[in-house]
Amino acid sequence: MVFLREKEQEVTGPMDDQPVMLFRDVVKVYPLPAGDVTALDGVSFRVDRGEFISVMGPSGSGKSTLLNLMGCLDTPTSGDIFISGTRIGDMSDVELTNLRRDRIGFIFQYFNLFPLLNIIENVTFPMMLKSQKEVDPEKGKEVLRSVQLEDKLFTHTPTEVSGGQQQRVAIARALVNNPDILLCDEPTGNLDSKTGAGIMDLMTELNRKGTTIIMVTHDPHIAEYSKRTIRIADGRIVA
Amino acid sequence: MIFWEIAKRNLRIHLLRSTLAMLGIVIGVVAIASMGILGNTLVLSVSDSLHTVGDSVIVSPYTGGGSGFGQGGGGGGSANLKITDQQFQQIKRAVAPNIAIPVLQTADIMKLGVGSDTIVAPIYGLNPDDVPNIMKLKAGSYSRSDSGCLVGSTFATDHNVKIGSRISIGTDGDKGTLRVTGIIEERGISFDISTDSAIVVTQNWFETTYNRNDYDTVVVKVNQGVDSAIVKTTIEKQMNKRDKIVTVMDSKATLATIFSAFGAITTFVTAIGGISMIVAGVSIFNIMMMSVTERIKEIGIMRSIGTQKREVMSMFMFEAAILGTVGSLIGGVLSILAGYAISSLLLNTTKYLFVWSSAIPIVEGVCFGIIISLACGIYPAWKAANLSPIEALRHE
Repeated sequence: MVFLREKEQEVTGPMDDQPVMLFRDVVKVYPLPAGDVTALDGVSFRVDRGEFISVMGPSGSGKSTLLNLMGCLDTPTSGDIFISGTRIGDMSDVELTNLRRDRIGFIFQYFNLFPLLNIIENVTFPMMLKSQKEVDPEKGKEVLRSVQLEDKLFTHTPTEVSGGQQQRVAIARALVNNPDILLCDEPTGNLDSKTGAGIMDLMTELNRKGTTIIMVTHDPHIAEYSKRTIRIADGRIVA
Repeated sequence: MIFWEIAKRNLRIHLLRSTLAMLGIVIGVVAIASMGILGNTLVLSVSDSLHTVGDSVIVSPYTGGGSGFGQGGGGGGSANLKITDQQFQQIKRAVAPNIAIPVLQTADIMKLGVGSDTIVAPIYGLNPDDVPNIMKLKAGSYSRSDSGCLVGSTFATDHNVKIGSRISIGTDGDKGTLRVTGIIEERGISFDISTDSAIVVTQNWFETTYNRNDYDTVVVKVNQGVDSAIVKTTIEKQMNKRDKIVTVMDSKATLATIFSAFGAITTFVTAIGGISMIVAGVSIFNIMMMSVTERIKEIGIMRSIGTQKREVMSMFMFEAAILGTVGSLIGGVLSILAGYAISSLLLNTTKYLFVWSSAIPIVEGVCFGIIISLACGIYPAWKAANLSPIEALRHE
């Protein structure tokens, strides 16, 4: 829990009034041969430090586009996106990649761990990307313990542990570089309800300790864990 | 670094595929290096056979153009395709202090003892003083007497000739009988005189027997440190002032031409070996593309959590480098064995295998293997690095 305490201290600072994420009139248009498709049409919202937000909407509503933009995997056609005060619109690929590495933690539905690396290597991977050298595995172990993963599993490969345990490893990997935002794409979508509830309890605990979480889901029960819900339909925020 | 580790593990997890790709490189390196070794061994072997004549300039009467039989006595002895004694003296003065050796040559019928078959063999006439300058004996002694002769090593073996054997020259021995005093060391291919299947008699006996007072060729033994090309030019300037009387052959230049031809042959066979390397490169390209296609999702995850394009590229380049380096090094070691086998089978000798110049084709083969592997890894690695993270993440 040392790691979470550090995180708690980090979020209480002079930057607290600045939103960790700000969307201002964001439009995303995909040019297709059959005609342009507007996936997001003037989306504006802000996410403050320490919030737990769920994004909900039907299929084709623009959820994935929104997720890609929030994760700095794409840039808007027009409008502005700020991540911790940094505008991403004009950033190069290298800058966007560094932003993803340092400011955003990703959690995917299918865990997406690297099968060639063991659990501790999976968790320390983003640290190595950041430091560009070998890292102390102790930090990774500490984060793994904070997501309630047993020490004896640390040297196993992802395929040797259960789905719930894999998702805990994925959460640890997302947290290891102390990101400003934890971006989750259907984090319990591939888990049974009991394991899913365990993961959501963990995320609630992380949020209580200060981690900002944005979670895309279509499961209303899962969305109930969040403090605020953004509903999206036809590329617009409806609630 | 983690990407090096991932590259190693990915190759290990697909061991059969990696081994087959590596095998292609091994075969390519072995083909290139062993062909190079064979060429080098061939050159060294021929060079060894020819080194005894590597310092000679051979002067012969000019046989081409207009200075043939029809020119009468004009310009000297080239009319009957011989070198006169006067011309020889001119050559001798021109090339001094290098030694000029006049050579008489014919072929005649001879018989080796009573009841044996009659054979025809070349006969060389040389001044006994010059003989040690041009050849070495493997048995017996140089003959100073007109009744003695030397025989070539092949001649001695083929006709069972020993020191003291007698050879009758001419039909029914009408030109006399000579006693063998020495057997000449094998000289192999030579530009001046080819003694291996011949007999060597004294100049005096030759002139008396065949009624000659001119020479067939003049061999100039070029002293160490003297450029044979300069000696050749000196003779040409002296002898061919007005008309072309003599043809001068610089054995060193001729050797250079021969070695250049060998070099071309070596390059050609090595290039054929290179084709197998290209095929190996295609195989590397193929498995690298397979690796990229299989790992699109993984690349997407890497990119989404902050892996730079160059880092993704390096991961795939490491794979190509490992395949190329390990395959090439194994190929390098095996090519020594292949070179040994080819040399002993085709040339019946392996004594030229363990020399520095034989290491050059191995180094070239290994370097080529690594370069081809890296070159064939560039496009798949570039493709992996430039995948859209969104598309890659969506890939199933």
